[in-house]
Amino acid sequence: MTSIANETQSAKKERAPITVKAVLTNKWFLYAVSLTFFFGLWDYVAYKKILGSSLARPLEVVNYMGYMINHRLAGNSLWGHAWASTRRILIGFSIASLIAVPLGLMMALNKYVNAIVKPIFDLMKPMPPIAWISISILWFGIGEPSKVFIIIIGTFVPCLLNAYNGVRLVEPELYDVVRVLGGNRRDEIFQVCFPAAFPAIFAGLQISLSVAWTCVLAAELVSARSGLGYVIIKGMNLGRPAMVLGGMVAIALAALMTSQLVGLLEKVLCPWKREIEGL
Amino acid sequence: MEDGNKTMAENGNTHAKISCKNVSKTFIQKGTQQVHVLDGISLDVAENEFVVILGPGQCGKSTLLRIMAGLETASTGSVIINDKEVDGPGQDRGLVFQSYMLFAWKTVMGNVEMGPKLRGVGKEERRKVAQHYIDMVGLQGFENKYPHQLSGGMKQRAGIARAYANQPQVMLLDEPFGQLDAQTRIYMEQETVRIWEQEKRTVIFVTNNIDEALFLGDRIICMEGKLPGRIREVYDVNLPRPRKFTDLDFLKLRHEITEASELTL
Ligand SMILES: Nc1ncnc2c1ncn2[C@@H]1O[C@H](COP(=O)(O)OP(=O)(O)OP(=O)(O)O)[C@@H](O)[C@H]1O
Ligand SMILES: [Mg+2]
Repeated sequence: MTSIANETQSAKKERAPITVKAVLTNKWFLYAVSLTFFFGLWDYVAYKKILGSSLARPLEVVNYMGYMINHRLAGNSLWGHAWASTRRILIGFSIASLIAVPLGLMMALNKYVNAIVKPIFDLMKPMPPIAWISISILWFGIGEPSKVFIIIIGTFVPCLLNAYNGVRLVEPELYDVVRVLGGNRRDEIFQVCFPAAFPAIFAGLQISLSVAWTCVLAAELVSARSGLGYVIIKGMNLGRPAMVLGGMVAIALAALMTSQLVGLLEKVLCPWKREIEGL
Repeated sequence: MEDGNKTMAENGNTHAKISCKNVSKTFIQKGTQQVHVLDGISLDVAENEFVVILGPGQCGKSTLLRIMAGLETASTGSVIINDKEVDGPGQDRGLVFQSYMLFAWKTVMGNVEMGPKLRGVGKEERRKVAQHYIDMVGLQGFENKYPHQLSGGMKQRAGIARAYANQPQVMLLDEPFGQLDAQTRIYMEQETVRIWEQEKRTVIFVTNNIDEALFLGDRIICMEGKLPGRIREVYDVNLPRPRKFTDLDFLKLRHEITEASELTL
């Protein structure tokens, strides 16, 4: 009797002989082929100016990013701008998730809370968060609060919805298990409801993060003196494709980092999921 | 109180007679529609008896078990366990679920120790109890695995250990091996008998498999094949243990039960 886990482990340990077919079907080899093709095509198109002169070559983008790290733009290096955006996200995202997740859980658990919050929530839900930018600038000015506000608005919805659905989709028989074992309502909530909803909550947090990046960029494009959104709009105004693309790459990297951070938090808090993901 | 129950169970002199008196159940669906699921079930189970409830799909077996567990209430009639009318779940009864129902976020140990934990038993002691039952079902070495790392048979072992770790006097098992392949199933049936002989309990075991019923039961309660669920016939199985699927007496009784039910079980 061997568990599934043992089987996969032993399969990993065996080393297959290196053949041409093994190399051609190797995952890493294929990754390398795919990336080489992508950057090769990009470089070729940029070099031949097939799309006009507004496409920078990959190396130019990298060089420009190095330039921005060493030369300040509106008082900030590239690091400074990246941190300005990330900081806005972390503040807005934290505030929103700390309110929205408990609220979503409470709505799922208590029909009165649900009946009071749901109508307002349903009213607000269809509004794209970007639509709030103008009014938030009128309310909070062009400083930090208006950007954080947009992020809160944008991330609130997926955080709440996922927490709510996470609880709603818990297999009801799991509550029966707790009851049969002698647990009360409180045990049902803390031993089943919350842990079972955890993966859904984290899925919501990840969605929220990508919404947060969209929001912060939009807000920075409209009005800002710092942030990666500012970098790319400045690059556009100055007519420097390498600056725009460099800013975009920095955005992707920063967004990747925040998403990894939440992923790490999930791994720490949901150890049971760690072994499921083989990706 | 818990300690009292435990010592009683360990001494093996519990008084855990189960008595269903004219139990009927009607579900009300969408406010008006009525589903009559159980009708006039009367049944007495002696202490430490192994009773099998045998019936085809959708005849109310799970519902009857859930009523005994206290998860549903009977529409009419009553269930008396240990001279006390059932009015909710209790630690005196353990339930093993058809679809395992393990906590995915807990290890095998975390699952098995859940009952004692909910009753406030200290960590060291509940670990000891849980380990005893993990060993009993043969899951030693897998204490720190999560359910998704276990095979179906192992999952159900964990489910059985979890129910036993609460040290109930009555074990209710709802088609526990329904999702297993034939080989694993027979193996688990042998294990069930071994565990029952080792840890004497009053057992009610639900199945739709006639071989399983004959292999396990002191008595087989045969249900009607349609709703509302009724008891069709009760068979005493006076075959010596360990039983063999190919014994002549085994096959004779199998034949008798099959002939009596219009459905091939
Ligand atoms: N909570 C409920 N509300 C309404 N109807 C129910 C409910 N629970 C069970 N039923 C109905 O009762 C009938 C019998 O269900 P039950 O699960 O007891 O049968 P079963 O014999 O255990 O079936 P199986 O062998 O498939 O497990 C089913 O037709 C089902 O639709
Ligand atoms: Mg059933």
